[in-house]
Amino acid sequence: MFVTIAHFAVVVALSLAAIGVLASLVALRTGLPAWVRVGRQAVYLTFAMLTLGMAGLEYAFLSHDYSLAYVAANSNTDLPLFYLATALWGGHEGSLLLWAWLLSLYAALAARLHWNSHARTMPYLLLVTSALLVGFISMIVFLSSPFALLPEIPVDGQGLNPLLQDPGMVFHPPFLYMGYVGFSIPFAFAMAALFSGRVSEEWLKATRRWTLFAWLMLTFGIVMGGYWAYYELGWGGYWAWDPVENASFMPWLTATAFLHSMMVQEARRSFKVWNVFLIIVTFALSLLGTFLVRSGVISSVHSFASDPSRGVYILLFMGIVLAFSFGALIARSGKLKSEVSIDSLASREATFLFNNLFFLVAAATVFVGTLYPLFLEALTGGKVTVGAPYYNQVFPPLMLGIVLLMGIGPLIPWRKASVARLKQDLLLPFGCALLATAAGFMLGMREAYPLIGLGVACFAAVAIALNFRSATFGVMRRDGLSWPRALWAAATRNKRRFGGQIVHAGVVMMMAGLIGSGAFKTEKDVLLNAGDSFSLGSYTVRFQGAQFRNGHNYDALVGFFEVWRGTEKIAELRPERRNYVNAAMPTTEAAIDDTWLRDIYLTLGSANGDAYAVKAYLNPLVKWIWTGVIVMGLGTLFALLQGRRIKGDKA
Amino acid sequence: MKTGAKMAIVIALLALVALFWRGLYLDPRHIPSVLEGKPAPLFAGTDLVSGQAVSLAQFKGKVVVVNFWASWCAECIKEHANLLKLQQEFGARSDFAMVGVAYQNKVEDARAFLARMGAAYPNIVDDKGSIGIDYGVYGVPETFLIDRHGMIRCKQFGPVLSDSYDKIAQRWLPALLENRELTSCD
Repeated sequence: MFVTIAHFAVVVALSLAAIGVLASLVALRTGLPAWVRVGRQAVYLTFAMLTLGMAGLEYAFLSHDYSLAYVAANSNTDLPLFYLATALWGGHEGSLLLWAWLLSLYAALAARLHWNSHARTMPYLLLVTSALLVGFISMIVFLSSPFALLPEIPVDGQGLNPLLQDPGMVFHPPFLYMGYVGFSIPFAFAMAALFSGRVSEEWLKATRRWTLFAWLMLTFGIVMGGYWAYYELGWGGYWAWDPVENASFMPWLTATAFLHSMMVQEARRSFKVWNVFLIIVTFALSLLGTFLVRSGVISSVHSFASDPSRGVYILLFMGIVLAFSFGALIARSGKLKSEVSIDSLASREATFLFNNLFFLVAAATVFVGTLYPLFLEALTGGKVTVGAPYYNQVFPPLMLGIVLLMGIGPLIPWRKASVARLKQDLLLPFGCALLATAAGFMLGMREAYPLIGLGVACFAAVAIALNFRSATFGVMRRDGLSWPRALWAAATRNKRRFGGQIVHAGVVMMMAGLIGSGAFKTEKDVLLNAGDSFSLGSYTVRFQGAQFRNGHNYDALVGFFEVWRGTEKIAELRPERRNYVNAAMPTTEAAIDDTWLRDIYLTLGSANGDAYAVKAYLNPLVKWIWTGVIVMGLGTLFALLQGRRIKGDKA
Repeated sequence: MKTGAKMAIVIALLALVALFWRGLYLDPRHIPSVLEGKPAPLFAGTDLVSGQAVSLAQFKGKVVVVNFWASWCAECIKEHANLLKLQQEFGARSDFAMVGVAYQNKVEDARAFLARMGAAYPNIVDDKGSIGIDYGVYGVPETFLIDRHGMIRCKQFGPVLSDSYDKIAQRWLPALLENRELTSCD
């Protein structure tokens, strides 16, 4: 009964969203405030109805209602409660409902938060968000309803894909969606600015925190996917340049470019067309990600069911969004003349320009690599896979450029820097970079990219430290505070700037991890009998034997290993090979001993007589990647605390 | 924005949408076998049920269907009934033969599978996977069609279910048996 009501609520949500579109159109035509209020009410009610829909689907999962095809396909009675509750987004239909629900939540929040401050923008904002809602809810109602019924109720469900039964995977999709969907609000504001012709800096100021929040969620979502792959897939890596990974990485790259270039417009009133372009591209890439993932156009390890009718629909929807957004941009580009041009290459504007250039080239690189197989097949019928070798050739130089700019940018003033002053400021970072590279060379590093990378990372790290130092000293001198209080005062005065610097520090940590684990990975395949041992770097790993163990809904073969360094036992590791009930393929659970210096990573393979195939990796500095992301997150949260005005600045 | 830039955006977007449109009707999982049109690698073994010697060479001059399967493969269970049906439909012909190859399978497991699911044609075991390597098997099940001259003509990647069954039984096999030209395996 509840489920029927929930299904009905989603259908009602569709009509409410359509009312939202109509009401905002009438409001724009007549200028009557009453219609704007109708539009707002419609958005609120859409959110309420979709919430009811989500609750109904959740209830269906928790109560094992296998009359629903979606519930039967994605859960079973054995499934632990945690995975049962989160199986809601374990498949296509539920993911889409979650997506639409988040969109309605954001739309309702935006309508509430900006109601008084952006009264003139409001009808446009309601129009764009309602139209997007109509697009998504139509797809749920007509093409992929999670409420579709089965003709016969099965005794038990088919169960959730065992690979998804992992905490990392439970939170990876919602975070990605929070990111993807989050860009819809800045996008809606940009559209409002274009449609209304009021293209000042206002839309950027209004959406800065929306963008930051979406960016943060997307960052977490992407890294969680990598973390999950590292722990769960058992191939010792965290990023494979798979098309679906790329689909989430592309909007991240353009969003990062946007976060930087918006500062140029705020400070210098230039980059106006560019900023609108970037947010449109970011949102379009979010939709493209949905299209690639959900249509099955591109073959990927994320083997989602492919269904041309859904693909056609998303493509049509994406086409309409592209036509309206780029159409409006082209029509209004005349109004978006920049008021100033760049004065000097030695200026912060110029570093932002290069920053954007690098990020956009990076996004284009990923775009080309992701779509090239499709392009070739469409034209010639040939099959190719573009994988790590391509990206490993083209990506490192871009990454190095970005991190280098990260060191220079914050030290350079707007408009025009004094070259002498700049030389003085960059002397120390540059010296440290040379020292680090030399040290790396002495320690036996011979490959160019890791060596340069080490230097660049040190350059940026020292530059960031100098930045903190000079800000702190400035306050100390002015206000006579002790240095910890001065640092705090400087940081809280401009949270945005300091948050950004903390994010940059996180990026440097992450880069250290990427270089370490990318360039110095040791990999070993061994066949072991109980009692055998093998050496891994300076460690000795001893295999004591394997045993079967019964889990809640799986049987596991557990391998018992000891890691020794000389005569000291430093860890016991227990990798598993699990056979889930209802699943054809066994899954691996890697066992990892992690320190700041290295991960020892073991996976247990199949038995060959009495011997077991074991894969072992020694991955240096992987922990730095995960920690770097947490630092980036904290920095972003700090920057989010900044209100619209910076204390002491004139508005 | 200059007119050129506007045009470039419009053209790029249209091209992109056209590309995706085309892409929707292609199958990204279709992998053409590099062996199509090449001589089929020979193999030999003992039939799991009768214990008699089986080799590809003994079927010279016949049209042969070689099916790679495994007892641990769920898709193989689904397609098994269709393979038996194929043998029933064409098995009476003296110029037709089928062979199953249990890929990376233990003899006992493969034998138990056949006892449970039924066997209508010879099956051998490829426990080291070396025949699979010769045939470039990506994953089971895969089904190869070999013509009278011992050439691999077509490959079905994935289980032989209703669509692919029709394709094999109504297009590939009749063409090869009647010595007609088979222009494409699609």
